[in-house]
Formats: sequence, structure tokens, C-alpha cells
Amino acid sequence: MTLTAGAAEVGAPVTAASDDVPTIEPRAPRLWWRLVLLIFGAVVFLFPFYYMIVGSLQKTANTTLSGIVPQPGNITLHNYGQINAALSLGRAIINSGIFTGGVLLGTLVLGILAGYALAQLRFRGRGLLFGFMLLMLMVPFQLLIIPLYVIIVRNYGLGNSYLGMIAPFAINSTAVFIFRQYFLQVPQELFDAARIDGANELRVLTRIALPLVRPAVLTAMLLTFIGPWNEFLWPLLITKQQNLEPLAVALGNYISTSSGVATNPYGAIMAGSFVLALPAVALFVIFQRYFQTVNIGSAVKG
Amino acid sequence: MTSITAPRPKVPPLEGELRPGARPSRRQWLTRAAFGRNPIGMIFGAPYALFIALLFAYPLSLAVWISFHSYFFAAPGVSVPRPFVGWANYTAVLTDPAVRQSFVNIGIFLVINVPLTVMLSLLLATALNAAIPFRTFFRTSYYVPYVTASVATIGVFLFILSPSGIFNHVLGPLAPVPSWLVNQNWAMPSVAIYVTWKGLGFFILLYLAALQNVPDELYEAAKVDGASWWHRLRAVTIPGVRQVTTLVSLLAIITGANLFTEPYLLTAGGGPDGKSASPVWLIYESGIEQNHPDFASALGVLLVILVLLISAGVWLLQRRQA
Amino acid sequence: MKSRIVVAAAVPLILGLLAACGGGASGVSTSSANDAQGPITIWYSNNAQEVAWGEQMVASWNKLHPSEKVSGQQIPAAASSEEVIGAAITAGSEPCLIYNTAPAAVPTFEQQGGLVSLSSFPGGAAYIESRTGPGASVYKSPDGQYYQMPWKSNPVMIFYNKKIFAKAGISTTNPPLSTYTEFLATAKKLVSSKAAQYAIYPDPSSDFFQSWYDFYPMYAAETGGTELVENGKSTFNSTAGDAVAAFWQQLYAENLAGKESYTNDPFASGAAAMAIVGPWAIDSYQGKVDWGVVPVPTTAGSHGDQVPTFSDAKNIAMYASCKNRGTAWDFLKYSTSTAEDGKLLSMTGQMPMRQGIQQLYAPYFKANPAYTEFAAEAAHVIEVPNVPNSIQDWQVFRDAWSKSVIFGQQSPDAALTGAATAINKLVAATTP
Repeated sequence: MTLTAGAAEVGAPVTAASDDVPTIEPRAPRLWWRLVLLIFGAVVFLFPFYYMIVGSLQKTANTTLSGIVPQPGNITLHNYGQINAALSLGRAIINSGIFTGGVLLGTLVLGILAGYALAQLRFRGRGLLFGFMLLMLMVPFQLLIIPLYVIIVRNYGLGNSYLGMIAPFAINSTAVFIFRQYFLQVPQELFDAARIDGANELRVLTRIALPLVRPAVLTAMLLTFIGPWNEFLWPLLITKQQNLEPLAVALGNYISTSSGVATNPYGAIMAGSFVLALPAVALFVIFQRYFQTVNIGSAVKG
Repeated sequence: MTSITAPRPKVPPLEGELRPGARPSRRQWLTRAAFGRNPIGMIFGAPYALFIALLFAYPLSLAVWISFHSYFFAAPGVSVPRPFVGWANYTAVLTDPAVRQSFVNIGIFLVINVPLTVMLSLLLATALNAAIPFRTFFRTSYYVPYVTASVATIGVFLFILSPSGIFNHVLGPLAPVPSWLVNQNWAMPSVAIYVTWKGLGFFILLYLAALQNVPDELYEAAKVDGASWWHRLRAVTIPGVRQVTTLVSLLAIITGANLFTEPYLLTAGGGPDGKSASPVWLIYESGIEQNHPDFASALGVLLVILVLLISAGVWLLQRRQA
Repeated sequence: MKSRIVVAAAVPLILGLLAACGGGASGVSTSSANDAQGPITIWYSNNAQEVAWGEQMVASWNKLHPSEKVSGQQIPAAASSEEVIGAAITAGSEPCLIYNTAPAAVPTFEQQGGLVSLSSFPGGAAYIESRTGPGASVYKSPDGQYYQMPWKSNPVMIFYNKKIFAKAGISTTNPPLSTYTEFLATAKKLVSSKAAQYAIYPDPSSDFFQSWYDFYPMYAAETGGTELVENGKSTFNSTAGDAVAAFWQQLYAENLAGKESYTNDPFASGAAAMAIVGPWAIDSYQGKVDWGVVPVPTTAGSHGDQVPTFSDAKNIAMYASCKNRGTAWDFLKYSTSTAEDGKLLSMTGQMPMRQGIQQLYAPYFKANPAYTEFAAEAAHVIEVPNVPNSIQDWQVFRDAWSKSVIFGQQSPDAALTGAATAINKLVAATTP
């Protein structure tokens, strides 16, 4: 993260989500090399996912080139059954959902408040809060893991609980940063006008500021989603019962320990991987147009 | 790009304290001095501040405290001696060959990952930054690995890179023995390539946004001057996105220094002969597995300082160049 | 901007003084807890048959003692049970009894204050010693008390695949596997005749406990029962230790043993002709491998079943957060009674650490003659040494082993010497 206050970005106007119209030339130059490069890139990026699906359907692991295409004699849903028996996929997904949902809620409500306060309100301690936020972005979570474990489990008594899982991630600082940057870009006159009209700050936030930064909120929510959905180490530490483990942890443990007993260990692993990957990818594909707002980069740059 | 500026409302002239530029009353002045102009900000920011205090500042300070003492986890209610040991933990960390190896491993990782990330994401973003057919499809395909859980994509990479996996099948006799992830020389590079693949989508996004802010006139001028696409890239594109390059480098470095899940799952912890151990893996092993959180905390503090130094260095470098 | 960060960083350091007092929860007072009766929780392992045994045992107890209900569950899955238990001890959330306590971890748990001394119960030590016999004394802690109850062992022996051996033209009733020379020759023949891809394939990963399944059983056999560390000094830096290392090094160097970690059991899948493991694995070979078993080789030749080997024991311990220790102790005795030990044997095939099992459960051994070898070996097993920093000691050893024996980056003699020095230091350290 660059540490400059985004002074240059304050003037940049905010666009609506579908306003993705960058300056484009009528006909792309060198179309052929772009396409070749992009197709090659797309294959490299998507092949593992395709292979994941194919692999999860194989009766016995087929690692030759012919295995790339599903072989009629080698197709089965047994792997899904096996991984479900080992991990109880439904339960694990629900746990992931609760964990991620809790973080999203915390960030959405409390993070927006904080981002707005840091951007638009002048209060004592604002600088300190901002400094802490930046520090928090820079300190790796892993340094804190050990004391955090002791503190959360012993002092706060939240071991082996959803709240204990959610707590360290409750408010995503990157999201707060993004909110702040976007709130900074809202023209000051709007706020002044609203305040003059007698609206209190909460009104100003919800009625005026929030609708203007909706694409940022959506983007920040998507980014915040990815964190806890994929988080492995913290839930691994905090859960002691298998029925509380989110899917990432359950699958990770399965990979490290007990996959050997399955009929097709790789197949079972890939079945689990597909189930873990699907919701995130599906959500993203549905909401992907919000990722295309051109001003994300400039806001984050600051 | 539409900018949202509401039409100026008709407002009657303000009076007294509310008039812009009016001198605040004594009561207002005191409140402002104590709480700032918008004290409600304190209320808005309070939950976040509490969160930081309880779940960041407190553990951070405890970690630092632990690193200066001889500490191990004990059952609740059991009192054990926790003497202050000064720099002993830090000395132990700095003289431990496994720690040094892990920093070398991260060095190898960064040398591969950061340049590759910068180059590939800029290249692909440049290619994407035009009217091409199936543009949305391409964009989406690059983001897919980024939004997928690492555990899930690791599962399929373990399958692909396994000793009898498809990659080795394709390579035939060129396949290294022992295979990639268990090979001392190839374990960390394999992890580096995987992490590059996984994270590229996010950086492409950043570069795309930055590219769209590079004014077209510069490209036109370069073309008029007869510059080839390579020269245009060097003269216009790369300088134009310099700030984002810094950002991308910084993010890649910070992520790389804090690597844990990928080496843990791809190479089963420390890898062949410790050649893919990351410092955070060592923190986990010494702190959680072997119950030496004092050693682990010292290592963690050193890692943070290292990351801060590198970040500051990169940022200063960028400041000077700007 | 920078000053804000500096201030933000300084505040936690000041808070650090306040943070110094950690852990406010109070433990359980011992005096009254030993007599307390009431419901308790227990953990057993993830092994399917042990779970079955555990469930029936818990059910039968609960019928007899409705006011002292036991609730059992599988130990949470993680990379190693030691991590899970250690973390639970720190949190104060571990159960009363864990039927999966590794002897190697007991020194750590003890140091954490997480274990209850079984000797503190009336007749505690006597009960343990009368069941296990003189072999129980290795499980005492340095202060002479029992913090663990020796429960079951899995003597490590060499399994061989009869079909593969026959294909390679090697005798399946009396395979030449008792001396190092014989073993190596057999291994070469197995691989060169293409009967199997590998002769033997222990897991080469660098977890601290892997050496228990390649080095330690053979070291036990070669030395006639010496532990890794005795009287505070490493013992493996010796002719015997070097001989075992050289043996394995040859296997790896000639690709008779695989160097890559795997997810599929190679013995079960037929990729390896032999396995070095205990009877708990038999269940996973059912229907896949027609197996035979012999003791591990020695330089001089190991015949009969008097050859020492590694016990791979798992014990029972009582943990500090237990409130109803009276019930826990009674339940512990109930679960290790002659009847329950018999059920354990018949349901899991693992050897209860009880004297005279071959006579006591003669019908079982008559019906399953293949297990008699293990029962005989069970009388000659050695344990991991009960020394401080046990897990770290084994990790140091494993790292040296990996580097020299498996990957050939260093001469085993030099590696073992280095490991011995490091381990001596760790064992001598009073604070971890």
C-alpha cells in the first residue's frame, strides 16, 4: 500500500457501476497478438478448474493425457460421496457461510461507519485511528496468531465457537481503507448541503454518501468475502470439533491426513475442492461487472 | 464518465454561528478543542477502535512481550516461571539455520514471484485494454483463480504436479526426479509459480484501472513519432502506471513474506529438507507444534520489521522517482 | 502521516505492560477433584475400529452408571494429535481422558501442567503395574509418578506381500529378511524382477514422528532394546545407529525405497512389496494384500520373535481441566479391565499392554494365528524416551535423517553426530 494520502484522487469523480466505458479505439490494434496471448492466458488460468471437475469425476485417477477428457468408463459420482462421508460437506459449507457472513456483516456495518468517519468527520483521535488502520494492514496476521489464540480462547473464553472464529476478521481493514478512499471522493458540497439542511451525520451517511459509493461497497464486500471463505490457519486453530470446521479447514485436513483411505484419493480431494471453489466463483461471475468500475484502482492507489 | 454534482440549492444566507467563517462561540470552541469538529465521528469510529484495541493492539503487544520472555503455553491456573530473557529469543532466531533457510526460501520466492507478477499482469492488462471480442469472458477467467480458496486450487495442483501427474506425463523424460514438490531445487519455485498464477487476477485488475487513466494523447504522440509498440510500452505505458507498479510490488512482497497456506499444503510443511519452509511456517511449527511461542514471537516480530523496512524502501524509491 | 504510524505503534508497546498478565482463568483444585463424581467427556482416536470399540464401551458404562454419564467423541482432526491436545490444554478445553495420548507428547503436556498424576489416586501405580507388568516403569515421569497409563501397543514389524514375493521367485513362507545383507539382496531382487516398483516405502516426510517407522524399530532390534536417549545422553551416535542409517541409505540410494510423499498407501496398492508398520494397518490391507509378517532385520540376523522393536504405543492420560476425576479414574479402570482389553484386541487387532495376553485371550489368537507374532513381539517393545523437549528432539533427528539418509546431502555419520549434540543440549535444558 502506498502511504500517500490520496490528494490527487479527491477530485476524481465517482462513476456508477455500469459506466464502464474506457477510451477505446474503434479497432483494437494488433488484434491477433492480443487474442493469442489472451486465449493462451485464459487456458492457463482455467485449465486447472476444468481439470478439477474432470478429476473429481474419475473412478480411478487417470493422470495421462487421455485423462483430460472424461472417459466414458471412468465417470462416477462416488468421489463426492466419499468426501461427503469423510467431511460432511453440507455442515462444512454452512460453517464457512456463518464465518464469512459474520465477517461481511461486521465489515458492512461497522467498517462503513469507520470509513466514513475517517473520511469526512473531524474528531479527536482520527489521526490515531487512521494510523492504526495502516499499521494493521501492514502487520501480518500470523504474528498475532499465537497471542490472539491465547487471548481469544482464554481471556475472552471464545474457544471453539463461531464468535471466536469471526472475531479477528470481524472488520476488514482493507475494506475500511477502500471505504475511506471512496468517501473522500464524494464532493464536499453534497455533504455541506445536507448538513445545512439539518440532516444528522447518520442520515448524511445513509442517504447521501452510501448510494454514491455503492460500487465501492460491493467491491469491498467481494474482497472481504474472499478472506474468511478461504481462511485456513485461524479456523484450524480455533475449532476443536469437526462439526464447526469451515470447508477450507476440513478439506485441508483431509488433504494432509486421511485422503489415503479413499478409493481415489485425488478424486475425493478434487470433489471437495470443486465444492469449495464453486460458491466463490459463482458469486464472482454473477457480480463481476462491479469489478470493472474503473476507479477502483485509482482509489486504492491512494 | 458522469460526475455527480448536485445542482446548487438556493440557500438563504446563514446567521450567527452557522455562517461559514463565523467565529465559533466559546462553548463550541471548547467542544471542538476537546472532541474535534464532528464528535459524532468518535461514535462512528468507536466499534472499529474497540476492534483494533481488543484484537490487534492487545495481541500485538502480547506478542512483543512474549518475545522478550521465556514463555510456553500452560494450562489455565497453572503458574509457571516466565523470566525476562532480554534478547535471548532474538539471538536464537537469528542463529537458527532453519530460520536462515526459510528467509532464503522466501528470497527465492520473491525473486520469481514479484517480477513475474508485475510483468505478466501488466502484459495481460495491456492486452485486455482494448476492444476485443469476448472481453468479459477473458476478464472473468483471469479473476477466477483469485477468488477461489487456496485450499481448493492446491488440491488440483497437487494432482497435476504429483510424481505421476499429468505435467510429468507431458514432460516425459524431462520430468525432474524427485518430482517437483518434493525436489529440493524445485519445491519453492513450484510454490512461487502457483502463487503467481493464483494472485494474478487481482493485479490485472489494478493495472487495468491504471491503464485507463493513461491519456490517449501520449499514445498518439508516440505513434506519430513512429514508435513501435515495444517503444510505446516502454515510453508511455510503463511510466504511466508507475504508482500501480509500486503498489503491485508492495502487495506481492507483503503476501510473499507472509506465505503459509501454500507451502504448508503443497509441500507438507517445511518441504524437502526444509527447502520450502516459510518463516510463518516456522512460527507455526515452533509456536504451536513445539510449544515455543517465545521463539515464534521473536521470529514474527523480526518478520514484521523486515516487511515494514522493505515496504518503506519500495515506497521511498517510488517517491524519489516520481 | 508517518508520525501517526509511529504513535500507533508506540501505543501497543505501552499496552504491553498491561498485557503481561495473561491467563486469568483458574484451574481445578486437586484436593477435592480426585474424589468428585459426575459426567465426564473423553476423546478417542479417528481409527474406525477404535471408535467402534470406544462407542460400545461408553454405552455399556452409561447403562451401569446413569448419574456419571460419559460422552465420547473422536479427537479433532489436525496434522498431529499433539497439536490438538496441546492447544486444548492451553485453552482449558480438553476432555477428562484422551485415549490417544502419545508417550512422546507426555513430557510437554506435563510441563504445561495439563496432566493429572495417576499415582495420586489410591492404588493408582499398583493398578498400572499389575496390568502391564515391569514394562510399565518406562512410562513413569522423571519424578517417579505416572502421568499416563500404558494402554495398547502396535509392535512394528515387516509386512510382505506374498503375491509379489512369489512373482519375484522368493520364498513366501520363509523369506530371507533377517539380516541386512539378506534383506538388501531380497529388496534388489524384488525391484529388478519388476515384481514391484519399490521394495519398501516408509513415509519419507519430515514430521517428527516418522522416524518411529523406519529408524527406531530397527535401532531397537540392532541394540537389543536401547532407547534414543538414555540418562540424558543420545545413544544413537554409535556403531548400531550408524549401521541402521547406512542400511536405509542404501535402500534410498538404489531407489529400493521411494523418496516422495504419497497419499495412497503403497503397500495396499501394490506399489511396494513390503511395509514396516504395526497391526493397526491390517484393516486397510484386507482384501487387497495377502500378507505375511516377520521381525525387522538386524546385522547379525533376527530370528524368532524375541527381537525388540518399537512399540508405537498409545496411552491414556487424565487431563487437568477434568472436574470429576473420581469418575474419570473409575472409568479408566473400567475401560482397561480384562474384559474390555479383550474387546479391544478382537475389535481392533492392536495389542493391549497387559501381561499374558496370549494366554488370556487364547481363543482369539487361535482364530487369528497371524496376530500371535504381534502378541509375542509386544513383550519386547521399547518406547520413546520420556525426556524434555521430546517433540523437538525427534524433529532434530528427523531433519538430520532426511538430509543424510533420504536425500544423501550429508554423510549419515556426520548428520547423526550433529543431531546427537543438538539433542543432548535440548534434553539438558531445564526451561524450554
